[in-house]
Parts: sequence; structure tokens; C-alpha cells
Amino acid sequence: MTRQAFMARLREGLRGLPPQTVIDVISDYEAHFADGASAGRSEDEVAAALGNPDRLAREIRAESTMTRWREERTPSSAASAVFAVLGLGALDILILLPILMGVAATIFGLFVAVVVMFFVGTFLLAAGPFADPPGGPAAAVLAGIGIMAGSASGGAILTIVSIGLMNALVWYGRLHYRLLKPALES
Amino acid sequence: MPEAIEIQLKKGALELCVLALLHQHDSYAYEIASRLADAIGMGEGTIYPLMRRLQSDRLVETYLVESKEGPPRKYYRLSDAGKKSFENQQMAWKSFSGAVEIILGGVK
Repeated sequence: MTRQAFMARLREGLRGLPPQTVIDVISDYEAHFADGASAGRSEDEVAAALGNPDRLAREIRAESTMTRWREERTPSSAASAVFAVLGLGALDILILLPILMGVAATIFGLFVAVVVMFFVGTFLLAAGPFADPPGGPAAAVLAGIGIMAGSASGGAILTIVSIGLMNALVWYGRLHYRLLKPALES
Repeated sequence: MPEAIEIQLKKGALELCVLALLHQHDSYAYEIASRLADAIGMGEGTIYPLMRRLQSDRLVETYLVESKEGPPRKYYRLSDAGKKSFENQQMAWKSFSGAVEIILGGVK
């Protein structure tokens, strides 16, 4: 493979990463080819020794998205980390994807339920004093507060569980991929 | 999962070797790659993601050195945290490999 072909495939594989990261990575590998040339190696030899550019790009992408997930715990950083780990091929997608989708759908459903319950609680709290509920207004107000508190803590637990699941997935991906940060670090 | 263990071993060993090399003298990626990658049996390309990670973990720092031909070259040097990490890992490796050696010798 020529230098140009190698760089084109690397660039293609890095698409979508922060521009600064792409520039840094590209210039690292460009410098490697230049150093190889001045050491008297052909572009072919250097490219062969570097390894498969598609795989290198996937690994750099996985590391970059996992770093982002560590820095900002948002649903979008979680999603891109999951896809990058899946893209490594370290996990068997055919087996894992249905399970993962099931888990994601369940978590999403529970989140919706928690939000709905929170609004039900708010409604009970607000409407209690005006309507004439069984057990009197005071009971309705207390029940409303109770449901709101319950759904808020449910949401908190759900968030903790989803972050835990994400971290487990990232850990597993690392364990199975040699370039990434060692999973068994002390 | 022997495969996973081998991967972890090589990963840990590669990092330790990079730190050891930089402990002797500052170096640039091409030199590190050509000296280590073959010896440990990992592609030369694997050095770059590793260097990126060491840098983001603040174990190494980079600086540019003008070169006679071509653009300035990026050199890596160990940070203080990197030196400490190297000493810890070196100690852990020595006691680990010493223990394994003794057991393997006993089996023979």
C-alpha cells in the first residue's frame, strides 16, 4: 500500500472525530512515513509495518469516544462510545445487538414511566385542594408529594444503573482490545 | 480467556517498555516504534494510540525540535508523574516476573 492510500483510509476511518484529533493523528502518521523514507524504507514496507489503517482508525475512534464519555456523561457521548466499541468487532454484534437494544429500550421505557409518574404526582399535588378526592385534600397532597419523590429517586437509581452498564461495556471493550487503556490497571 | 490475558500482558509490557525507553532518554515516535514494536510483536502503528493515551494521562510531555530536513520533530519526555508510574510499574513487573520464573523453574 502506498502512503497516499494508507492516509486516505485512515482519514476516512477518522471522519466525525474532533478536527484537532484528526489533524494530530494524521500528522503523527505522516511523520512516521517521512522518518521511514529517510531510514531507507519503501512506503510499502512502512505501511505494512504500521498495520491495517481501518483498524487503527477504529481503535483511535474508540479511545477518543471513551475519553469523551469519561469527561461528559451525556446520552450522546454514551451512544457514540457504544457504537465505537461495537465497531471494534471485539464483541459479537449479532449476539450483543439484540440484547443491547432490549436493555436500551427497557431503560428508555423506565425513564418515560418515571417522568409520567412525576407529572401524575405534580397533578395530584396541584389538583388535590380544589377537587374533592376520596380521603380529603390533605391525603391527595401528601400522595402527590410521595409519588413525585418516589419517581425522582427512581430516576436517580435508573441513571446510576445506566452509567454502570455503560462503564461495564467500556471495560469489556478495553479488556478485549489491545490498544486501549488496560482494563486491569491498578 | 487466554487470548485476553495475552492481550493484557502485551499491552502492559508495551507501555512499560515505552516508559523505560523514555526514562533513558527523550525520543520521538518513529524511534520508539521501530525499537519496540517488533520486539514485542505488535504493529508499529500501535505506538501512536499508546502515545496519545500516555499524553492524555499526563505521563509524557511533548516538545518540538527543529530538524535539518522536513518539519520539526515531536519529541516525548517523561513527566514527573510518568517517572513515578515507571518506577511503580517496573517494581511490580520485577516482582511478578521473578515469581513466575521461580515457579516455571520449579516445574522443569
